[in-house]
Amino acid sequence: MTDTTKEPLLKVEHLSKEFPAESGMIAGRFSKRVVSAVKDISFEIYPGETFGLVGESGCGKSTTGRSIMRLTNPTAGHVYFEGKDVAQMNSKELKAMRREMQFVFQDPQASLNPRMTIGEIVSEPMVIHGIGTKEERIERVRELLDVVGLNPEHINRYPHEFSGGQRQRIGIARAFALRPKLIICDEPVSALDVSIQAQVLNLLKDLQDHFGTAYLFIAHDLSVVQHISDRVAVMYLGKIVEISDWKTLYTEPHHPYTQSLLSAVPVPDPDVQKTRKRIILPGDPPSPIDPPSGCRFHTRCPIAQAVCSEEQPELREVAPGHFCACHCAAVNPIKETSIEL
Amino acid sequence: MAKKKNDYVDLKTQPIPEGHHLLEVDNLKMFFHTEDGVVKAVNGVSYTLDRGETLGVVGESGSGKSVTHMTIMGLIDMPPGKIEEGDVRYRGRSLLEMSEQEMQHIRGNDIAMIFQDPMTSLNPVYKIGRQVGEGLRLHRGYSKKEALERATELLRLVGIPSPEKRVNEYPHQFSGGMRQRVMIAMALACDPDILIADEPTTALDVTIQAQIIELMKEMQEKNGNAIIMITHDLGVVADMADKIMVMYAGRPVEFGTADEIFYESRHPYTWGLIRSIPEQAIDEKKPLTPIHGNPPSLVNLPSGCPFAPRCPYAVDICHQKEPEHIVTETGHYSACHFADDPEFLKFAPDTSRSRGKIATGMPDTLDPDLTGGEA
Repeated sequence: MTDTTKEPLLKVEHLSKEFPAESGMIAGRFSKRVVSAVKDISFEIYPGETFGLVGESGCGKSTTGRSIMRLTNPTAGHVYFEGKDVAQMNSKELKAMRREMQFVFQDPQASLNPRMTIGEIVSEPMVIHGIGTKEERIERVRELLDVVGLNPEHINRYPHEFSGGQRQRIGIARAFALRPKLIICDEPVSALDVSIQAQVLNLLKDLQDHFGTAYLFIAHDLSVVQHISDRVAVMYLGKIVEISDWKTLYTEPHHPYTQSLLSAVPVPDPDVQKTRKRIILPGDPPSPIDPPSGCRFHTRCPIAQAVCSEEQPELREVAPGHFCACHCAAVNPIKETSIEL
Repeated sequence: MAKKKNDYVDLKTQPIPEGHHLLEVDNLKMFFHTEDGVVKAVNGVSYTLDRGETLGVVGESGSGKSVTHMTIMGLIDMPPGKIEEGDVRYRGRSLLEMSEQEMQHIRGNDIAMIFQDPMTSLNPVYKIGRQVGEGLRLHRGYSKKEALERATELLRLVGIPSPEKRVNEYPHQFSGGMRQRVMIAMALACDPDILIADEPTTALDVTIQAQIIELMKEMQEKNGNAIIMITHDLGVVADMADKIMVMYAGRPVEFGTADEIFYESRHPYTWGLIRSIPEQAIDEKKPLTPIHGNPPSLVNLPSGCPFAPRCPYAVDICHQKEPEHIVTETGHYSACHFADDPEFLKFAPDTSRSRGKIATGMPDTLDPDLTGGEA
């Protein structure tokens, strides 16, 4: 659970990441244009908590995760891990930092080397960081496989011999091999069937209770993020539009985008589904190459006012621990039960 | 000046023979004969569908929900596939006995399909207008110009802005949600009787998913066609489906109306699917109840009930004897030995109806002081 009295484990300050816009046949003219994938976002993660990052594809949530671990170099801003700026680290410091910060990837098929046994895969982080003797490492791998619910006898099998859910367990065992303080989970369950998804979510929760690891949990599925997270940030087109604890976000969503996301999540219950309020957003998210002026959401926002296209809203504290970036939410909340296509 | 092939009568204009439904699938079995053995991909599927109805087909990957409908459409290569038993009747005519030529008239004209991945199901080198109009040229004998006009109209109908311009663009110029709209326009071009949608929203974001589902419902209201919605997400079919078929290991394990499946389910697999979905809890978070283990291989099905190895309630008989369908008066059936045991049914998950509590995901009451600020 969140303990805000402690020092944050990870502090992200005004992080931005821009990619050069693709050069193609019409390259020259557009060479100065950039894809603004992440724009000026800030948040903290405290030891042992799960911080959820939710948004649609292309909103910059994965780029945020990758920038934090410096798998990609941020354009501007700072990432402090245990007080040290990740952006300033040299390769030696980076290696030490990555011992404390690990990654679980979305696609368990692509992130496991098909030519390595799962024993080799799970022990690789320990080999890289020179931990233990060979025998000790094997012992540790067996322990880890047992913890994630795989048979330690299968240590010499290859990834293709496992199902999708089991492969994701291997990826999780590898992330836990170094007992890191923070694990960045980038869509860890979105490739899995719903029944298997529940197995993996329970496993992540159990491991957190056991090891006290903090998670940055990145996903597009709001119900999954809410289930696992202590606090949640909602991203839209590279900006954080709302941050709060999971319960407040669910019961008192402030930002019109959060409200529409919540209302769009299908509920497996016909009575609820037929009676609840739904906000259907028109159109597609705009391109991050040329994001809308002012509030980036104003082009699809059902309550947008003139000010929204001119001024960028700041992330303001609307209640203790609850931040929202919207000009209008407080004065003009959504009243209509559904907005037409 | 539509030149219609006069040797062929559109089946969808024919009345449904007495005692028949629009679509009847009757104990359909289709096995793949492979080097590794016989894969029992479709193993005894039965259902009926009428105009204006929506059938939801739910199950995990590999449960046979897509293969069943590919078989119905005649899209499975035979061999390795082989129809072992059963029949599929559309307006009283057997689809399995039709020649390939006749099937070509059915596909797209009477029964149309939308696939999961809109990128791979559109041809990247043809303009959108040509692809949407293709069915009209083929089935209705439209001229190029007529087809393009109708395609423009269809694109407008599915909510694509400035369709006159968009018909001349290529698939890569469309976003994922827009491509799926194009697929829907294409499927609806010939005004089909039945629309089979295979995971139409799985590749899309949740806000776009909501748009597409609304669109499909709207089109159904307008055209009165039947929809078969194949999905792994029970949430998607909750407000859409009239009937739901839950599939496991190539066979339907439960079939009933949406209310029966969600509120009076009689199969532990359906219970497991419902319990696996994270609940939008308002007060406290409860751990999820997953289904343990993995779906079985369709080559080596376990003896007895195929779900028994993963079923938390399985007893000896489940491992020995394959359960029959136990049918209620309303036609709700379940392939579980204990489906008519009231004591057993007490294990079913509680739902909003039994709890009498409705979570809306939206604040119900907004502060009246704040609602006056409309500009």
